[in-house]
Amino acid sequence: MTETRPGAAAAGGARNSFLPSALDPQVFDEAFLRQLDRLMLVSRTAVRGGMKGVRRSVKHGQSVEFTDYRDYALGDDLRSLDWNVYARLEKLFIKLFVEEEDVNVHVLLDASASMAGGSPDKLIFAKRAAAALAYVGLASYDRVTVSILQGRVARRLPAVRGTGRIFSVLADLSAVKAAPGATDLAAACRHYAAQLRQRGPLMLISDLFDPDVDRAIGELAATRCDVALLHTLSLDELDPPLEGDLRLVDRETSERVDVTVDLATLDAYRARLASWQAHLESISARRRVSYVSVPTSLPLADLVFAELRRRRVVA
Amino acid sequence: MTLLAPLALLGLLFVPLIVAFYLLRLRRHERTVSSTFLWRALVRDVEANAPWQRLRRSLLLLLQLLVVVALVLVVARPSGERAAGLSRDLVLVVDASASMAATDVFPDRLTAAKRAAIAALGDLPADGRVSVVAAAESARVVANEATDRGRVTRAIESIEQSTAPGRLAEALTLASELAERARGAEILIVTDDTASAAPEVALTVPVRVLTVGAERDNQAIAALAVRTDPSGLERTVFVSVANYSDSRVVRRLRLLADGTPITARDLPMEAVSRSDVVIDELPEGTRVVEAQLAEIAAAELPAENSAAPSPPDRLALDDRAWAIVAPDRIRRVLLVGPGNAYLQTAFALLPNVELYGATAAEYGSTTGKDRFDLFVFDGYLPEELPGAAILAIAPPASSPLGTVSDTLANPAISQGAAEEPLLRNVDLSRLHIAQAQRMELPDWARVVLPASDSSPLIYSGLREGAATAVIAFDLRASDLPLQVAWPILATNLAGELLGLAPGGVEPVAPGSPVELALAPGTAALRVTRPDGTVAELAPSATGAATVTWVDTRQLGVYRVERVPAPEAAGASPSAPASPAASPTGPAAGATPAAGASPSTEASPSAGALPPGPEDEPTYFAVDLFSVEESNIAVGDGGRLAALGSTTAPDAAPAGVARDEWWPLLVVAALILLLAEWLVYERDGARRIGAGARRWMSGLRPWRGRAT
Repeated sequence: MTETRPGAAAAGGARNSFLPSALDPQVFDEAFLRQLDRLMLVSRTAVRGGMKGVRRSVKHGQSVEFTDYRDYALGDDLRSLDWNVYARLEKLFIKLFVEEEDVNVHVLLDASASMAGGSPDKLIFAKRAAAALAYVGLASYDRVTVSILQGRVARRLPAVRGTGRIFSVLADLSAVKAAPGATDLAAACRHYAAQLRQRGPLMLISDLFDPDVDRAIGELAATRCDVALLHTLSLDELDPPLEGDLRLVDRETSERVDVTVDLATLDAYRARLASWQAHLESISARRRVSYVSVPTSLPLADLVFAELRRRRVVA
Repeated sequence: MTLLAPLALLGLLFVPLIVAFYLLRLRRHERTVSSTFLWRALVRDVEANAPWQRLRRSLLLLLQLLVVVALVLVVARPSGERAAGLSRDLVLVVDASASMAATDVFPDRLTAAKRAAIAALGDLPADGRVSVVAAAESARVVANEATDRGRVTRAIESIEQSTAPGRLAEALTLASELAERARGAEILIVTDDTASAAPEVALTVPVRVLTVGAERDNQAIAALAVRTDPSGLERTVFVSVANYSDSRVVRRLRLLADGTPITARDLPMEAVSRSDVVIDELPEGTRVVEAQLAEIAAAELPAENSAAPSPPDRLALDDRAWAIVAPDRIRRVLLVGPGNAYLQTAFALLPNVELYGATAAEYGSTTGKDRFDLFVFDGYLPEELPGAAILAIAPPASSPLGTVSDTLANPAISQGAAEEPLLRNVDLSRLHIAQAQRMELPDWARVVLPASDSSPLIYSGLREGAATAVIAFDLRASDLPLQVAWPILATNLAGELLGLAPGGVEPVAPGSPVELALAPGTAALRVTRPDGTVAELAPSATGAATVTWVDTRQLGVYRVERVPAPEAAGASPSAPASPAASPTGPAAGATPAAGASPSTEASPSAGALPPGPEDEPTYFAVDLFSVEESNIAVGDGGRLAALGSTTAPDAAPAGVARDEWWPLLVVAALILLLAEWLVYERDGARRIGAGARRWMSGLRPWRGRAT
C-alpha cells in the first residue's frame, strides 16, 4: 500500500499529470491516489448521505423539504401559507420546511513524535485517513477543517469546501511533519475546542499514547460535536517483534524502560493493550464518543466504507 | 569416599568467575519505540511479581553453579571403597557354545552371560588383573592379565556366539594354566552348564560358577540322514526330532529338497522324547535335503492339541539341519567269459552301471582292474581273484569261491528261505536246470537257492570283505534267462553286490576341519559359505591331494567348486588330464571277440569316459547334532565348582573394590544442564509447546471426522 515509486509521476501518464508538486509522493503516492479515485467513484452513490448529522438540522427553515404544518400566526410570511389547504378547510396553515445548515467537518490529526514510525508508518496512515475523510466530507458539500495537534496546540489548516479543493488538503497534509518533543494531547484538544465555532462531526486520528487521554476525550466530548476517535496503532505496536533483554526508548519523551521480553511479557503486553483499548472504548461510550480501533494495515476503503460506517461515523 | 584426581577440584575456581559475571550488569540493546506508555505500565505489573523475577535470575545462577560443581566432581573421580569379593587375579571363562544362543533370558544367554561377567568385575579389587577365555568350538584367550576394566569389558563384549558344542574342558585347562601363573588366582565360569557330565579336568585353583538361563523348552533336529536303496533307485530320508522340553509340544517338520518344500508334517511329541520320521518321496536328482522345525500357530493346531499351547522353542540353531545326497555313482562291471547275451542284457539295463567285456584270454592282460566294482566270471575263474565284488557263474573248478565236487544233472529245485533278500519278488518254482556244478557251501556264504539234495545252486555272502555270489549252473543250461524272474534276480544280485556304499555325505560338526580333495590340475577350491560369502582355498604345497577347510562355524550347506589351473583350463575337457580317464580303458585293451563282446553302448572307448564328478560342485553340510547343546536345561554349576580346589586363596591379600561415582555425576550434570536450559529458554519451551498445541489442533478436525 505504501509502495513508493520515485519515477511514478513522470511515467504515470495522464493520471499523474494533475498531481501537484506540493504533494508528498511518499504519503500520497500513486496507490493512494488510485484509492482516492475509487473513493470518488463510490462516493457518487454511497456517500450521498455524507457525514452523520451534516445535512439535516433539527431546526425548521427555508428549503424545499416539507416537514409539517402549523397554525398561521400574525406576522407570518404569507408566502408560506398553504392555499390548497385553505381552499379545502378554510383555515390558514403555514407550511414548515427543513432548515439546511452549513455543517463543518473537523478532522484532527495527531502529529506528535509517537506517530512517526511504526510499521506500516502511523503518520502516513493517519494523513491518508485524514485525506480520505476530508474527501468524503468535501464530496457531501460540507466545510472541512483539518487541524494538526502538536505540542500543546492545535494548528488549523484553512477550511475548504467542494471536492475541487481536495488537492489543497493533500498539499497541506503533505507538509505535516511529526513534531519532536512531548505532546500534551489534552492541552491540544482543549486548544482546539476553544477555537471551535461551528459544531459538526469531529474526528481525531491519533495513537492516543498520552497519560491524559481521558481528559483529551473529555475536552472533545465537551464541544458537543459528534466525536469519533480513530485509534491508530501499527502492527508492531499490536504485536511487538521484540525479544530478549532490551532498553526501550520512547520516541517522544526519550524515556527509557528496561524490559526482558519473552513470551510471557508479550502476552502481558497484549493483555495490557487490550485492557487499555477496552478502557478507552468504555470512557468514549460514556461520553457518547465513537471509538474505532484502526490498525495501520487496514485499507482506506475498508476504513471509510466498512469500519466507519459500521461505527456510524459515516452515514 | 576418595578422590582419584583431587587436582581437578581447581576447577571450582569457575564458581567465583560465574558469580562475577552475574555481578556485572546486564547489557541491554536499545530499541526505539513509539511510546513506552504501555511498557511502563507493564513493568509496574512485572515489578509486582519481582520476587519471581529475582528468583528466576538466582535460579539460573544456582543451576549454573551446580553444573560446574558436578563437572568438577566428574573430573575429580570420587569413588567409594569396599572389600573385594573376588581375588586379585581372575580368570574369567565365558561359555559361548551353541546352547548359549537360547533366548529364554533376554535377549539371549550369551548376552546375559556377558552382562553377568561385566557386573562381576565390580567385585574385583581396584588393582585386579583379569584374563578372559572364551569357550566356543575352541578355547580362546581374548584378554590376558588386563588391568584396564574398559579393555576387559570390550574383550568380553567381543566374544561371539558359536554354533558349535563348547569345549569347556579345553577352556578350563587353559584357564587353569593361566591361573597358575599368579598366586591366589581363581576361575570364574559364566555358563549355562548344560553338559550332562562335568569335564574331566583337575583344577588347582578355586572355581566359582555363574549360571545363566531359566528354561529348558527346546526342540531339535537330532539327526538327518539320506540313505540310498541298494538298487540305487530309491532314496530315503530319516529325520529324528527330539523334544527336550518337559511339556508336550506339537511342532511342524518341513522337508525341502534343493530349497523346494516337499513335505510338512505336524509332530506331536511327549515331554523329553524323540520322534523319528522316514520320508521316501525324495525327488530324483536332489543334492541337498533340508529339514526345518517350526512352531505352529495356535489357530492351526488340531483341536486335541490346542487346549495346551506348546511352549516356545528357545534355541533356533538346532531347528534346521541339512543333509547332502551322494550323487549317483557309476559302477563299472567287467564281464569275463565267452559272451552271454542274457547276462549282458541284464547288467546293461541296470541304472548307473557301465558294462565292460573281456574274454578269459584277455583277462590276464586287462589293466585298471582296481577300478571295477564287480567282476562277473561266466564259466571261468582266474587264478588270482580280484578284491572287488564277484559274481561267479558255473565256476569250472574249485576256488576260494567254493569247492566243485561233481556235476548235478537235472537237479530238483528246493524252496529258498522266505526272507531271502535276493529272492525278493523272484519266483523260481518253474525253473528247470539241465546241469549244475555240485558245490560245497563255503563258510562265508548263505544258501540262496538250494537243490533238493541241499547242495547250493545259488549262494551269497561276504568273502574277505568283498560281496560275493555264486550261481552254480550255466545260464544257458537252464531256462532261467527265459523267465520273468531273471531280470529281477539280476537286479537283486547287483543291488547286493554293488550297493554296499549307499550312504550320503556325512555331516560335519561345526568348527571341525574338513578335508577337501584336490583333483590334479586344480589351482584352488572356491568355497561358498551358507551366507553366500565366497572364499578361495589354495593348496598349501603344489601337488597336495587335499586342502583343509577350517571355517565351518556357520551351520548350513557349503558349496565347493574347482578352480582349474590356468593350463588345465585351456585344455580340452576330454583331455587325459582327468583321472577318470586315466585307466587306459579296460574295454580297449580287453575287448572280447566279436559276438561275445558287450554291446557298444556299454563299452565306451578310453577317451570318452564320462567326466569325473570333480567338474561338478560338491557339497558338505555343517549340522549341530549335539544333545549336549540342544538339551538346554540349566545346571546349577555345582559340578563345575567342585572341580576347583576348596582351599581359599589365602596367599593373596584381600583387595579393595572401588566403585566410581562419575557416571551418576555425569547424569546429574546433564539433568542440571537441561534444567538450566529450560529455565533460560522458557520461551523456547513454551513456543514448542504452543507449536505442538497448534499442530494438535490442526489434527483435531480429522479426528472429528473420523469419529
